[in-house]
Amino acid sequence: MADQLYLENIDEFVTDQNKIVTYKWLSYTLGVHVNQAKQMLYDYVERKRKENSGAQLHVTYLVSGSLIQNGHSCHKVAVVREDKLEAVKSKLAVTASIHVYSIQKAMLKDSGPLFNTDYDILKSNLQNCSKFSAIQCAAAVPRAAAESSSSEKCEQSSLQVSSETPANNELTTNGHSPPTSKQIFQQPKGIMGMFASKAASKTQDANKETKTETKEVSSTGNKPPGKGNVMSNFFGKAAMNKLKVNLDSEQAVKEEKIVEQPPVSVTEPKLAAPTGLKKSSKKAEPVKMQQKEKKRGKRAELSDDETKETENMKKKRRRIKLPESDSSEDEVIPDSPGDYEAESPSPPPPPSPPPEPVPKTEPEPPSFKSSSGEKRKRKRVLKSKTFVDDEGCIVTEKVYESESCTDSEEELKMKTSVHRPSTMIVKKEPKEERKVPKKGTAALGKANRQVSITGFFQRK
Amino acid sequence: MTTLTRQDLNFGQVVADVLCEFLEVAVHLILYVREVYPVGIFQKRKKYNVPVQMSCHPELNQYIQDTLHCVKPLLEKGGGGGVWVTRFWSRGFLFLQNDVEKVVVVILDKEHRPVEKFVFEITQPPLLSISSDSLLSHVEQLLRAFILKISVCDAVLDHNPPGCTFTVLVHTREAATRNMEKIQVIKDFPWILADEQDVHMHDPRLIPLKTMTSDILKMQLYVEERAHKSS
Repeated sequence: MADQLYLENIDEFVTDQNKIVTYKWLSYTLGVHVNQAKQMLYDYVERKRKENSGAQLHVTYLVSGSLIQNGHSCHKVAVVREDKLEAVKSKLAVTASIHVYSIQKAMLKDSGPLFNTDYDILKSNLQNCSKFSAIQCAAAVPRAAAESSSSEKCEQSSLQVSSETPANNELTTNGHSPPTSKQIFQQPKGIMGMFASKAASKTQDANKETKTETKEVSSTGNKPPGKGNVMSNFFGKAAMNKLKVNLDSEQAVKEEKIVEQPPVSVTEPKLAAPTGLKKSSKKAEPVKMQQKEKKRGKRAELSDDETKETENMKKKRRRIKLPESDSSEDEVIPDSPGDYEAESPSPPPPPSPPPEPVPKTEPEPPSFKSSSGEKRKRKRVLKSKTFVDDEGCIVTEKVYESESCTDSEEELKMKTSVHRPSTMIVKKEPKEERKVPKKGTAALGKANRQVSITGFFQRK
Repeated sequence: MTTLTRQDLNFGQVVADVLCEFLEVAVHLILYVREVYPVGIFQKRKKYNVPVQMSCHPELNQYIQDTLHCVKPLLEKGGGGGVWVTRFWSRGFLFLQNDVEKVVVVILDKEHRPVEKFVFEITQPPLLSISSDSLLSHVEQLLRAFILKISVCDAVLDHNPPGCTFTVLVHTREAATRNMEKIQVIKDFPWILADEQDVHMHDPRLIPLKTMTSDILKMQLYVEERAHKSS
């Protein structure tokens, strides 16, 4: 049930992970509108309190309303702890809105952790920070150059100061914004009133006065939170936050650090990705090397078995295939077998010499195999020699030479060299060979089959 | 902290600087959150772009700074063993080394028995690299998370009895006597080996708080808490 899932999520964040869950953080994490996030938090608090499960929850609220101070009416927005909520509410002439700001297990001594909680998630969502926000302005578009905007900011702030009515407050503490008469209206008091108040305040969010407010306060908003005493900062912190969101959403932020942050936040996830890729590629390489070596060994063994079967079939065509050309196995094109043979790109020799090496190779493998142990011997080895024949063609011919080597080397050499005579036969006897080599290669194909490219998946 | 160009970037110095700055902030924050000292001596300051509470008391600040100042050169070098602490106003100081196993902020009750220990286990990854431009901002983000966790550790810890003091212990890997003596002479700041009673806590409860892994530093923070604090 989707309805219950968010309750479990919040429960996990608050109880298990001991996090501070602010409505803004929840909205980004779950991908919901801020008003929905506020309702979720409220719902969670109500349920938990009803259950009386014993796990203590501390809740902070955001209260906003009009306040009469020094004869002036001003709009106050404050984040208050639950125990101070009633006191602050009573001071306000009109309470515009109250909603849950955050839920946490720990009793917070100051508002610093609330800012810390929102900082990172806001930073990572800087490009679309107004996506779930209730504060929208259609006229807000990104500026072309940052320099022109900074100069314009100075002009605008001076304009705003001059145009502000005497109703503007003179308070020095952060976060107190000038009055906006349109935002103050009668609201049903109490917690349930917050739903109605938020719905109404939405319609006013397109109000341009918010824009002027933020521009005016932007200069003050840049001050570090250390100004004033702890309690006023606690109150003013939320307003500063709220206004900061306005600044971001309208793309009017002039602070250098925020301009720098988008590229920083983008590169941070990239950091993780390339290092991950590098590691995986390094691991893949040695594995592949091992697989290739195994492939070669297996091919050599298979070819050895096949020499016995094809002993009596002189016209059997054998081909040396590249590892990738697995599919071309059954395609017999007698006219150009040299294309398949990568190792000796020579035109076919006359048919007479080829049959000779074939019977010669027959006695060789058994004798070589019968020898046991790895002793140094003087043996006759089939070697290919390249020369130009009478017709002017370059010919590669198998010739026996005596050579001293150990048994294992001899066997390998025999296995690889028997391939060669068969290729030379094919070119001069295309028609006769067509069917027979097909069978031969087909038979060979299965037994002497190249290990397919996916073979290493099975071989674990 | 002076700006270093890429050419003269001494890697050990960078790590030592980052670590010492962080530990200074962390010690102040622990003292604030656990109410070792009255709230009035703390003021809001900015570190890693977030508000943190630091003490205004000059002697306490000087003490912590001197400790870290002594420790920084050892952090860069490496090697050292044993557990070191100093007594100064019934408080301790910080001694760090490159191969230090852990740094412990111990909160003691009136009888000078440990009540809580905030253990920072520090290791450096085998392959250190500062190739990335965004490395330091990434580390900053991780340290911010540590700060946040310390701020909310109240929820998982019991209240401390009144009249607590603090001390700092460092566990290192090899014998560091030679280095210690040199530093003492240079900085005129006394160091002594820790007593068993400062180190040993009877039947502690372990509460993990945070872990971080980065290219330059690996750190883990957990709390050892005595089961019965007020006894």
